[in-house]
Amino acid sequence: MKTFSSFLKVILGATAVIFLACTAFAAPVGLPPVPVPADNPMTPEKIKLGDKLFHDTRFSTTGEVSCATCHDSKKGFADGLPVSEGIHKLKGTRNAPTIINAAYLHTQFWDGREPSLESQSGQPFLNPVEMGLKDHEPILKIVRSDPEYLALFKEAFGKTGDQVTMTEVKQALGTFERTIISGDSPFDRYYFKGDKTAMSPAAIRGLDVYVNQGRCVSCHRIEQTQALFTDNRFHMIGVSSNQMPKNLDELSAAVQNVKEKGTDIAVLSNPQTSSLGRFAVTGDLTNIGAFKTPTLRNIELTAPYMHDGSHKTLEEVVTFYNNGGRLKETDPVPELLSGGIRPLNLTEEQQADLVAFLKALTSPEFAPKKP
Amino acid sequence: MSMNRRAFLKTTGAGLMAAAFPVSLVKLAFGGEGSIPDFTFGYISDAHIQQIKGTQFVRNWDMGLIRAVREANLLTPRPDFFMFGGDLAQLGKKEELDHGLEIMSNLRGKVRYVIGEHDYYLDLGKYWQEKIGPLYYSFDHKGVHFVVLNSILTYDKWTYETWPSPMDRMLAMARLDNPKGSPFMVGDQQIAWLKKDLAKIKQNTPVVVFSHSPIQKIFKPWNFWTQDAEKVQALLKPFEKATVIYGHVHQIQYNQIGNITFQAVMATAWPWPYPESYSQLANCLPKITVPMNRADPFFERDATGWQFVDMKSGKTAIHYQLPDNQNRTVAYDAATGKPQDMKYQDYSRRIPPQTHF
Amino acid sequence: MRNSRFFKSACLAALIGLGFLAISFSIQADDFTEGDLKRWNQEFMSVVATGEKLFHSSELGTNKVSCDQCHPNAANTHPETYPKFQQQLGRVITLSEMINWCIQNPLEGEPLPLDDAKMTALLSYITWERRGVPLAPGKH
Repeated sequence: MKTFSSFLKVILGATAVIFLACTAFAAPVGLPPVPVPADNPMTPEKIKLGDKLFHDTRFSTTGEVSCATCHDSKKGFADGLPVSEGIHKLKGTRNAPTIINAAYLHTQFWDGREPSLESQSGQPFLNPVEMGLKDHEPILKIVRSDPEYLALFKEAFGKTGDQVTMTEVKQALGTFERTIISGDSPFDRYYFKGDKTAMSPAAIRGLDVYVNQGRCVSCHRIEQTQALFTDNRFHMIGVSSNQMPKNLDELSAAVQNVKEKGTDIAVLSNPQTSSLGRFAVTGDLTNIGAFKTPTLRNIELTAPYMHDGSHKTLEEVVTFYNNGGRLKETDPVPELLSGGIRPLNLTEEQQADLVAFLKALTSPEFAPKKP
Repeated sequence: MSMNRRAFLKTTGAGLMAAAFPVSLVKLAFGGEGSIPDFTFGYISDAHIQQIKGTQFVRNWDMGLIRAVREANLLTPRPDFFMFGGDLAQLGKKEELDHGLEIMSNLRGKVRYVIGEHDYYLDLGKYWQEKIGPLYYSFDHKGVHFVVLNSILTYDKWTYETWPSPMDRMLAMARLDNPKGSPFMVGDQQIAWLKKDLAKIKQNTPVVVFSHSPIQKIFKPWNFWTQDAEKVQALLKPFEKATVIYGHVHQIQYNQIGNITFQAVMATAWPWPYPESYSQLANCLPKITVPMNRADPFFERDATGWQFVDMKSGKTAIHYQLPDNQNRTVAYDAATGKPQDMKYQDYSRRIPPQTHF
Repeated sequence: MRNSRFFKSACLAALIGLGFLAISFSIQADDFTEGDLKRWNQEFMSVVATGEKLFHSSELGTNKVSCDQCHPNAANTHPETYPKFQQQLGRVITLSEMINWCIQNPLEGEPLPLDDAKMTALLSYITWERRGVPLAPGKH
């Protein structure tokens, strides 16, 4: 009797854990299951540790900057600035991408220079305009001696003190970021759940523009059973094309900058180097000025837009695309445009509807609070 | 998606940080054997500038040529010269040729032109000769003998006696799949000229022929064809190093016939299907050709592009620059005596975009 | 006695009636001749010919570009693979929808109604040029 009841308890306990695990990590409506690397399975302990590391401002020279500084949960896990500001409010050249759903991306950063959440997480610590550290030693010093970290690393990795390396730090950060997932927006309920009342009439018309005349779906993908809103590729769409090198001399200087400082530091140090985009990673002329397609989920929350935050509103973005890669029709057409960009000839109403649709991509847990 | 860092660096080429970057954005061709120095020239072809009305031209084809010129201007070190491979205009109109030449005038470097059928059949090359130059000629550069042919001529009867107006004739030739079309040829006059021209050249001088039509017989219904190909090939037979570079086909093709290497160039305007995709007729596409990566029509520059050609010891390596796609290199391999794709030649290395046509 | 005779005649009449009916139905169902087939094929080919003209004309768009510029002999249109998941549109589409995409984008024209005679003509020509190739729906 006693062994049976304890056996039952074990079974029930295990079921509860599995249920919790499944629901905690189950994909929301409109998204596939989160890809998890084989060498970094998700556990509640890693998540808790990663959360603490993410918010720890001690990992910067001024003690004031953490990952959460530029990826603020109250600002859609971005920072609402055109370009991010690190220690001493030093400005970089790029707009902070959101962490929400970053787990689904095949590469990280606007130019895809890092292949995973784990490898990305180690970079901003070392950038002079972000956390400003010369190397990772100050981080390791803290996580190897701080009593809370001693316990958390032990629980998460079975390692403590000097056994802890940057690998564990990055794996914990990656695991935490992997939980920042959101789907189940009004669009998801309309498109995948068949709830015809989930979106407004304007947003429904906007969806039609999005998949047809607007051509948005070609890069910001919606599929039959899921919608990531990105194709994980790099396209030159003409943003700030006037900042790109105008001649061989300027191009050589930008390239020299990358060679001397490394891509991560060089692109955040100089707008012209930053404008190289994917070219600074591959050296391929056909990639020049190309940036990664970001997801559009929760886009309402992460203004301003584009890799340099140069577009303040969604209306501006739609105008930019409607003009075929230019804010004003009188601007010159960028010569190295991706073949997917051309004038769209949308009416004012179509453009407004498209913006209404984009606002329907906000997940309920992040939706702006109604006054 | 998990990918270890080393594999990632290899595929993105971030490893190139330690390598050629940034001294040369293009692999520098270093000095070759004997007295034949290596050098590079650029090749832009098949722009098909098409007039809609007045000063309005088809934006898509304009963007293709503009992009090729812009990228070519960024090439470092600078190529020795550029070629334009034919079909600058779509219907041979003055407005189209002028608009094309205006875009080409931004190209930094000397340009020589090969004529295509879309340039020729409206006025039989009259405006071309006024504005650009002769229809066939030869020149020498760093020990290599270059020949430019007008290989898109056809039978006199078709040219002079069949069509009510010049534009009717041009439209008939412009339609690639025209059942009332007529095969391309070099013609006896040029064959005679070529014979005399090559007689002055030593047999160990590398010879490169620039032609619009393939100087081969690949697929007659689409004029991937030169009717007197064998006659031209016979004239090239005595030379140790002979190459033909041709346009017209708007796709990657390459072949080896005896001692002659054949290589096609890409169009800046639009890609064409491979002949095998027309299921009703047989074709003779060279078996060694690895097809270009299949185009995604939603990106209008996909499967278009331009190229630069490295002359190495008198033979060619073509580096195809393909925006919205993957660059490819097809180089003559002295060991096998044939041109080959540097990455995908072996069938086991093919990727779905090359097999899923 | 009279009833059974009546009954028998009624049955016979019914049988004969049904027989006639059966014979007349069989005449309507089986009766198309070689001549009919030839004529109907010509009707079809006339629409193929209309489609061929449209395919090679600048009528469908606003920028003088014609379908055959990229698709000589309608090659590379792969009609046998539709319907398929068209990844660039994010949904399963039919050949007609793809034709309309081409009219709107490279040809910069207005899409055709799906039951428009021009659409039927284009479909006829495109599939005719691909005759004999086995169906492969969904193939990318």
